Amino acid sequence: MNTDLSPEATEFGREVLRALEAAGGDALVQQAEADPDRRQTVAAALADLGVWELDPRGDGDELEAAAAVARSCGSWAVPYPVAERLARPPDADGLVLVDEARPQAAVAGLGLRWAAVTLDGRRGPAVPREATAPPRTTAFVTGLDLGPLDDGGAGDRAGEVALALALPCWTLLGMLDRALALTREHVLRRTQFGRPLAALQGVQFQVADAEVERAGVEVLARYALWSIATGRPEAVADALALRSAAIDAADVVFRVAHQLHGASGFCDETQVSWLSRYSLPLRRLPFGPTATRERLTRALGRRGLPGPYGAAAALGGVR
Amino acid sequence: MASGLDFEMGPAATTLREELRALVAEEVPAGYLGAFTDDPADLAVAQRFCGVLAERGLLCLAWPAEYGGRDASVWEQAVVREEMWAAHEPRGAQYMGVNWVGPTIMRHGTPEQKAQHLPPIARGEVIWCQGFSEPEAGSDLASLRTAARPDGDTWRISGQKVWTSYATMAQWCFLLARTSREERRQQGLTVFLVPMTNPGIEVRPIRSMLGPHHLNEVFLDDVVVDAANVLGAVGDGWRVVQEVLAFERVGIARYARCERLLETAPALLGQAWEELAGELRGRWARILVQCRRARLLAYRVLALQSEGRVTPGDSAAYRIAVTRLDQDVAEVLTEIVAAAPLDGAEGEEFRAEVEDHWRYSQASTVSSGAIDVQRVLLARALLPAAS
Repeated sequence: MNTDLSPEATEFGREVLRALEAAGGDALVQQAEADPDRRQTVAAALADLGVWELDPRGDGDELEAAAAVARSCGSWAVPYPVAERLARPPDADGLVLVDEARPQAAVAGLGLRWAAVTLDGRRGPAVPREATAPPRTTAFVTGLDLGPLDDGGAGDRAGEVALALALPCWTLLGMLDRALALTREHVLRRTQFGRPLAALQGVQFQVADAEVERAGVEVLARYALWSIATGRPEAVADALALRSAAIDAADVVFRVAHQLHGASGFCDETQVSWLSRYSLPLRRLPFGPTATRERLTRALGRRGLPGPYGAAAALGGVR
Repeated sequence: MASGLDFEMGPAATTLREELRALVAEEVPAGYLGAFTDDPADLAVAQRFCGVLAERGLLCLAWPAEYGGRDASVWEQAVVREEMWAAHEPRGAQYMGVNWVGPTIMRHGTPEQKAQHLPPIARGEVIWCQGFSEPEAGSDLASLRTAARPDGDTWRISGQKVWTSYATMAQWCFLLARTSREERRQQGLTVFLVPMTNPGIEVRPIRSMLGPHHLNEVFLDDVVVDAANVLGAVGDGWRVVQEVLAFERVGIARYARCERLLETAPALLGQAWEELAGELRGRWARILVQCRRARLLAYRVLALQSEGRVTPGDSAAYRIAVTRLDQDVAEVLTEIVAAAPLDGAEGEEFRAEVEDHWRYSQASTVSSGAIDVQRVLLARALLPAAS
């Protein structure tokens, strides 16, 4: 049992965090919103570190490194589809999981070749439509025109589908890390009634509850990654479980972050407001909380959430 | 790059899980809801089961080999906790002796105390109760008032303990009492190993929704305890008790029973499962994810603990998640049971299990460290400058 990413993957994630800070840090998303072409700064900074050479499909260690990269990018709310590019198939620059009925993704205006995959493992080309609204309101989400989808089959593509589900959750995890860290700093610094907000038990309890949610996503994200890396047959269910928990956790963490930041949390000069807005595509696409749970329920059927710890059936059901 | 993540528990743990499941299937009757019912046969099941485990060297497998254990890994210990809790803890009250009374005596006991107490615990022959909480000392344990005063080669103890599980059936009590008044309330406390047959001890059961034997009051009226029954140094009881709590860092594996009950429901219902409301099945799926989350948070604590890196915040986060889980699962299960056509003997047994789980889960956020205290501990770890 090892519940930590490899030290090398963790260190690579830290390197990415530092490089993105040097490239602009919190300002990256702000600049990109004003000038979408500035997003190439992110791509270039990551290229310098060799991020685009990672092969998360072919190597478990590189998969861990890719996850660490996605998490670091989430920390800065980088306005670039890093997880989606890391999940790319051989014949495209990036891969997004889509709801076939309404394909969309936060990939507007990058000039890349995209592939889209459905939850049942059918894949085809996807062309982002031209943005019709400013990123201020869309967070770079745009509709996709799908080409013909092949019939790759869920079995053959399970690993790919799980990857396309799980890596963006690592980005969201990075956003939760940062939102909570900023909230902790704020309640320690902000004084009301003659003492820091953090001295109030009502505030402490909210921070504690948010941390339980964040820590829960962290362990589920690691488990889903391991499930993908080891080719477990239930990898898609594990990734859906992660996604479901991550969206629910994001609701709690961002609500607490906004509440405890007070009015300042809505201001552009406060990074929580950027994290909050730019987390939304990850939380709503391709499926929001209800639709994700629906698909998870379907994936679990009557067997529950399989794993290496023994299923109820082996216990003989009722005792 | 070196490989990182690995969520397998290893072949020894897997073999152990299979062995324990087979033993449970063989030795524990269907419909068993634990040792602490009104039916003495249930207690007899636990006594017999402990004997079977002891014979196979499974009762104390976490103990060091020098005390008759197997030096089991933390993962094997986790498997024991999970499989026993999932099957309504067929070790009965003995888990306390095995999990922390024995290990604490190994650490702080005299050679005589070790010789007297460890073999019967290892054979599964003795039941212990824990005399910590008092009417005025719950979460704030250091404010306890039960007092012990020296009298020659003995101590005389008077006071009252409350919420004492298994006191009606225990032969020994692991009791914390005040032996002196010091500047800090945590000082001047001492642990006594008290035979429950000593004159002056009166046990009064408290009827509760948790079931019989779970809650008792213990009155101590000038109870004479031999000085040889002091565990550790006089006045050092707080440190000993903190170690006890460290043994209990992950506590009972509530997620294991939750998961089993949740997985049993659709298995019993078969096709009828699909006829339940989609929203209810969605809640079922969501809560299964939360079971997985609690399990993995427990494993995280164990992994950190085995590397000496665990903090009170890590275990508090797990405890908050797992105790809320117990109650959330109870709500989902009671709704499933109310809505589902669960007929026949198996259906009835499942209903009884769910009803038992619902009642017992109401205490999960209170017992063994209230959730509010866990939230404070976690907040202290996250906001150190404010505490």
